[in-house]
Amino acid sequence: MLGLNSKAGRVVVQCLLQRGLREDGLRRPSRPLRRTRLVAVSTDGTTSRAGHPPAQPQVVRLWVRPQGVAGGAGRPCENEGHGVRDPSTRFAVTTTFSGTEAVLALFGRAEHADAFILGATLDSAIERRPASMVLDLSALDFIGVAGMVAVANAEKRLMEIGATLTIRSPSELVNRLVGMMDIAHMPRLLDGATATGEHLGTKQKAEIPFGATERAHGNPSADFRRVTAMPSDPDVIDGALGLIVELARISVEGADGVSVSLLRHGRLSTVAASDQTVMDMDADQYASGEGPCVDASVQGRGFHAEALAGESRWPTFTPQALGLGINAILSSPLKAFDQPIGALNIYSRRPLAFGPKDQAAAALFAKKASVILSDAGAGASDTQIAFRYQEALRTRKVITLAMGVLMEREGVDEDAAFSDLLRLSLYHGEPLREQAHAVVRSARQPVLGPEFELDA
Amino acid sequence: MREPAVDSLDVYRQDAGLSHAELWLRYFELGGMSTGSELEAYLYGVRAPSTHDHDVIAHALNERFAELGGNYPVGYSEAVGAN
Repeated sequence: MLGLNSKAGRVVVQCLLQRGLREDGLRRPSRPLRRTRLVAVSTDGTTSRAGHPPAQPQVVRLWVRPQGVAGGAGRPCENEGHGVRDPSTRFAVTTTFSGTEAVLALFGRAEHADAFILGATLDSAIERRPASMVLDLSALDFIGVAGMVAVANAEKRLMEIGATLTIRSPSELVNRLVGMMDIAHMPRLLDGATATGEHLGTKQKAEIPFGATERAHGNPSADFRRVTAMPSDPDVIDGALGLIVELARISVEGADGVSVSLLRHGRLSTVAASDQTVMDMDADQYASGEGPCVDASVQGRGFHAEALAGESRWPTFTPQALGLGINAILSSPLKAFDQPIGALNIYSRRPLAFGPKDQAAAALFAKKASVILSDAGAGASDTQIAFRYQEALRTRKVITLAMGVLMEREGVDEDAAFSDLLRLSLYHGEPLREQAHAVVRSARQPVLGPEFELDA
Repeated sequence: MREPAVDSLDVYRQDAGLSHAELWLRYFELGGMSTGSELEAYLYGVRAPSTHDHDVIAHALNERFAELGGNYPVGYSEAVGAN
């Protein structure tokens, strides 16, 4: 076993310390790495130059456990046949190279903060350009959303170098989590999405011809689950919006082009678009200050131009759209924290292209995009977010006070007091906070029993 | 009255149009003590929430549905006995 000073150990540690999360498509974890403790990086066998898998199997192990937990690398133990693992380790990943195959075995709980290490380890393995990678999840108890995104990103990179990813023996629980990310489903998505070029980029210029008619045959709800599980990194958010654009384009029957417009710094801009025609259409609307995209973004409600030839609401924009061959537009509002911040725009060459089913699908896609944007804090300033947290804290305090009143009054425990408060809320059909306020107010009223009556 | 349907909580969240962060804040606001990661585990059915946690999550979701003009679709535990 080699220590931190070994060549491979240095490679991994440098990778951990230097590689920015944005590069991995992950946001910086809320708990910084310094709050966990890198217990040991060890290697067995020979090291090799990046890009050239070693002839002999090579093992790199990485253990992380919460700071303050006693013990160290000197006390490893056998772990159910999965190799050496410190019993106090929260999360560990072991990389084994055998010929052109890389096998990564994950142990324990891959919490949000561990995604950083997981992503770096995956990257480190991929840099050796294996022909195939096996992710052994048989000893993984839990994997968070960020960890799943790290795995999804790894799969994308492996596809780029022509390598395959196999997920081995996930536990039932992990299987469900990974299933939500639909990683196994990703090649089909990318078949469509990668054709648009850098679909993870911010401003996209598509290569699919405007009006291309291919449709995906899959389960849209599974796609939604994958998309909405994205974390909040701006690049990932734009990537997720790009994915939504692509999903909308291939799912909405009448769609010839799709874009997402967002209000950023007080101006509308297109952050994802299926092709250049759509980008031009959006730009025309921003320039003229009119059009369904602008109205939906500002007013926060949907606008449907069924047939532009007979449209009178946007006199400047309509001729421009017709000139580009557009005959129908469906713009659905995007909202974050209930405030309009943009629009999902679907364009068609055919008039009357969008029936009720398409309108419902567009609304659904817009809703999903809004969830992603809300998660990203889009449209909300730091002050607004701080205010929302303060408000939540105030409400929480009142609810806690109300529970205290009920505990004293009813002689019940904390959980029962909350249930009482909940029943009051349901009975009166009012938010819990209103009932909590009422209970606290009632406690302020003097309740004078005989023993407290004042002498006249 | 029905048993808490933990594996469908995330479907409710999506129907309510709430991000994980927004739901966690609402859950926290109502007195929830679990972390965001734990909440996600409850939503996905990976971990079973306590009865109290389930009721807090259910009510956070139901209040959102009410704001949207809907009813209270998420069931509570028997401790609440409301449905």
